[in-house]
Amino acid sequence: MNPWPVVLLPALASLAGLLLGRDRRLSRAVAVAAAALTLLLTLVAWAVQGEEPVRGAGPSIRTGELSVPLDVVSNPSLAAVAFIVALVALAVQVYTVWYLVDDDRYPVFAATVSLFTSSMLLVVHSGDLVLTVIGWEVMGWCSFLLIGHWSRRHSARRAAHKAFLVTRLADIGFLLGVIGLAAGARTTDLGEVVESWGRPGADDTLRALFLTLIVIGVLGKSAQLPFQDWLADAMEGPTPASALIHAATMVAAGTVVLAALFPLLAESPGARWVLGISVSLTMVLAAALAFAQSDLKRLLAWSTVSQVGVMLSALAAAPIEAGPDAGLFHLWSHAVFKALLFLALGWAAVIAGGTAAYALRGSAAAAPLLRVSLLFGLLSLAGVPLVVGGLSKEHVVAVAWEGAVHGGPGLVVLVALLTTAALTGAYCTRAYLLLTAHVRPQRSSPRLPPAVQGVLSGLVLLSVLGGLVLLTDAFAVGEFSLTWVVITTLAVLVGVLVALRGGFDRDPAEVLVPRFIPLADRGLGADAAYRRLVAEPVLALARLVSFLDTEVVDAYVRGTAVATRVAGRAGARAHRGERPGSAVGLVLAALVLLGLAGVLAWS
Amino acid sequence: MVVSLLLAIPAAAGLWLVTGGRALPLAAARLLSATAVGLTLVLSLAAAVSRQGIDRPWLPDLGVRFSFGVDGIAVPLVLLTAAIGALVVAHAWVEVPEGGTPATFLGCLLLVEAGALATFTARDAILFFVAFELVLVPMWVLISRYGDRHDDQARADAGHRFVLYTAFGSTLMLVGILALVTFTGTSDLRELAAGAGAALPPDRQLLVAALLVTGLAVKVPVFPVHTWLPPAHTIAPTAGSVLLAAVLLKMGTYGLVRLPVATVPDGFARLSPVLAVLGVVGIVWGALVCLVERDLKRLIAYSSVAHMGFVVLALAAGTETGLQAALFANIAHGVVSALLFVLVGGLKQRWGTVDLSVARPALRETSPRLGFVLVLGLAASLGLPGLAGFWGELLAVYAAWAPADNRPRALFVGCAVVAAVGAALAAAYALRVARRVWVGDVPEPEAGTTRDTRGVEAVVLTTLALGVVVLGVLPGPLLAVTADAVARIGGAR
Repeated sequence: MNPWPVVLLPALASLAGLLLGRDRRLSRAVAVAAAALTLLLTLVAWAVQGEEPVRGAGPSIRTGELSVPLDVVSNPSLAAVAFIVALVALAVQVYTVWYLVDDDRYPVFAATVSLFTSSMLLVVHSGDLVLTVIGWEVMGWCSFLLIGHWSRRHSARRAAHKAFLVTRLADIGFLLGVIGLAAGARTTDLGEVVESWGRPGADDTLRALFLTLIVIGVLGKSAQLPFQDWLADAMEGPTPASALIHAATMVAAGTVVLAALFPLLAESPGARWVLGISVSLTMVLAAALAFAQSDLKRLLAWSTVSQVGVMLSALAAAPIEAGPDAGLFHLWSHAVFKALLFLALGWAAVIAGGTAAYALRGSAAAAPLLRVSLLFGLLSLAGVPLVVGGLSKEHVVAVAWEGAVHGGPGLVVLVALLTTAALTGAYCTRAYLLLTAHVRPQRSSPRLPPAVQGVLSGLVLLSVLGGLVLLTDAFAVGEFSLTWVVITTLAVLVGVLVALRGGFDRDPAEVLVPRFIPLADRGLGADAAYRRLVAEPVLALARLVSFLDTEVVDAYVRGTAVATRVAGRAGARAHRGERPGSAVGLVLAALVLLGLAGVLAWS
Repeated sequence: MVVSLLLAIPAAAGLWLVTGGRALPLAAARLLSATAVGLTLVLSLAAAVSRQGIDRPWLPDLGVRFSFGVDGIAVPLVLLTAAIGALVVAHAWVEVPEGGTPATFLGCLLLVEAGALATFTARDAILFFVAFELVLVPMWVLISRYGDRHDDQARADAGHRFVLYTAFGSTLMLVGILALVTFTGTSDLRELAAGAGAALPPDRQLLVAALLVTGLAVKVPVFPVHTWLPPAHTIAPTAGSVLLAAVLLKMGTYGLVRLPVATVPDGFARLSPVLAVLGVVGIVWGALVCLVERDLKRLIAYSSVAHMGFVVLALAAGTETGLQAALFANIAHGVVSALLFVLVGGLKQRWGTVDLSVARPALRETSPRLGFVLVLGLAASLGLPGLAGFWGELLAVYAAWAPADNRPRALFVGCAVVAAVGAALAAAYALRVARRVWVGDVPEPEAGTTRDTRGVEAVVLTTLALGVVVLGVLPGPLLAVTADAVARIGGAR
């Protein structure tokens, strides 16, 4: 099926939502109905998708020497990813109706979510580098709007600002990488770019350079080192926005883009090492930070950073014949359980009146569905065997092992994956302990609309049964050995046991690493580093430039004006002839000039 | 016929308004000018479709012909000028600045429009120059008579600076045109572009190109001859700022395409590395100033310097893609800056000043529609895809990355990298404005409110906002209009 309708439908819904503006009921109907219809379309597209890729012709534009066809494509794995994006989008839209029921800017929020979905679907189905850039950048802007939705709060304004600027800074690399690849191929068509740069005889160094630039952009959007710090602050956005950004869009987009460029990435060891080292460090560091967060929403944020590192590590390590599908499968499963966790935590936060760990203690007891949701979400996140998160993690470990055998950053990635597995087990245990702790008095839950309950139940079901997607031919992943399952499960178990050292009633972070907590809450001071290393030098340069502009560049202009005026006055005075002296002076000056000329001519 | 009427109607109406009809009351003058710009808009559409021209002997002794017509490069600019002309006259229902009679004000707007239309349709180098200069006088009146009443000294300074600076540039351009015409023996731009200019020996081409580029660079403006722009924009009334940004600056880039690029390609190619470097310096320079500038109107003027840097960079690259990028970015900047200046002019009217260091209630809270338009304009300014600014700037960076064969590749790639950094800086200043003006705490009841936009102002803003979105979502038609003419210039090389 032509992927254009899938991409355009949410965009139209967003436009309609903006135009309808004030009418809350109407914009709600449009947003939810369009999300449901999009889900239906992606489901149909996935069902009818054969082995062969499908193209949708784009509105080719005339740009001189460069060919810009703007086509979209689909294949089995992309159709599956599009489905999960649409699913999470629908879940978020339904949830938002309940969550933002008192918010006066709900229509704008819903329209932005629709636009966000559309841009992510554009990135997923993009068959053209320019379309990828479009979706990529529009997503960044939507994240700015969603994170800053509650702009009456200073922290939300700052978080939105920071998120956009950090990702935009990394996008310098992305843009230049895309342009370099397109310039080499004289086209922006993704298939032709991959073919042209994949040919034997293509310039290896340049290819590695451009891929590295694109990887830098991906690291920014996916909040990997050194750009990791924006995502935790982005928790200032309303919870549905967090669920959308973390589960299926924005941070996951890099995985989709690199998967599309995988044939080139696999042939560019330089780019793979950059990616491999960054994501390995990030997944371990983020997992450690997650463990010590005193705010559970920020814990989830750091867990996303860590899990996106896991996704990308599959692309960094996988040998070329294994393909990128292990990473895409982890994206798929992460979308399910992370959406579940965020939506459940948002509910818990409504009950508890905040997202801080002490406020949330015991809040899961308020409703059985909440407890089940959190349990299965955390089981998946921890990567316990058989649930969807465990299954996809095993595939990542399997390709990392294959890659480690072949050389490249596989070994580093593998070590990082095992460490991360243990840390993840620990922080998931901590989160569950805190949320289900026994506290008096018991809190009661506000009544959840059946639709939202349905959404959560559906996601729970999918987190258990989602692994069945492997029975379809959506993701071309290989086998994984039982040995590795045992090893990773042991790693998780170690993490869980370590977290349980202080017993069931105490916060493991306070037991194990009490002094790390304030440091982790500040993200190890990365914010201050960003300010000192980037923001302040740029501002100082800006002040200097502003000074130069008025005092130097413009001084010449003012100087000519002053000189003209002075010359004019001098001339006027000389010609006024009031004083005989001036005429004498003129004659004398003329004589001197004549004399000088004569001397010069003589010699 | 169509082209003659297109030029004659605004010129005649404008002339009468500044002379005989000077004392006309506001309502009558407004009606007359609205009729004139309405007709001009219709005629510009007709001219764009029919592509008819007019060609009569004018000064036979000099071989100068009275020749006007439109081609693919001129059509978008003619349409833009006619549309902007209509919008600034409509804006007279919102605000008519003091300083003279309203009829003179409107007459000057019409004269600027007529002069700009003549510039964009002239097919003779001498005619081009005459039209180019004609625009200066009404624009000077707009700045120095109808400008900001707060500071007489600053107003006089901005007016003088505008006239003297740009007239200085025009003089250089005139010398360049005269040299070109003397060397080749023709002043017909079509003949010049078809090879008469390219046949000149290299050093003469270089001389002509240097004179023309330097002269036109003032108008564009290219760093470091941009310092006339910020005071002119700050002082000019809203309608004047809009015309300056959306029409006058375009005359500079249009002149670059028509004269040096098309007529003396080899000379231009030898200058292009310098131009490219100045272009990217302008991008970064303008963006950096925007990070600390306090006056919002000045800030947008500096952002214009940055945006025109992209246009210049793309032109310097010398490929068809570069030309397409430059022409697209040119139009896009016209629409986006017009939107921002109407908006900021409105804010200045409401607040008295647009000093960013003064804390004000968030626009998003007090006046959602104004806030929405502001954030749309800022997003377009930072080159967000789906809005007008994106295509021109993306293609400009691409063009610099892959310049023509006779350009120094390494230097241009370096310029592309710096331009990409400039695009990131654009995000920084756009968000700075958004954070200061658009978002903020809930306004306190006594902090005063900002009246939201409605009526004619809302119509003007909506039209421009639509233009921004349509250009961004559907770049195809505009690129297709210019593609053939660009290919002809590219083919002449």
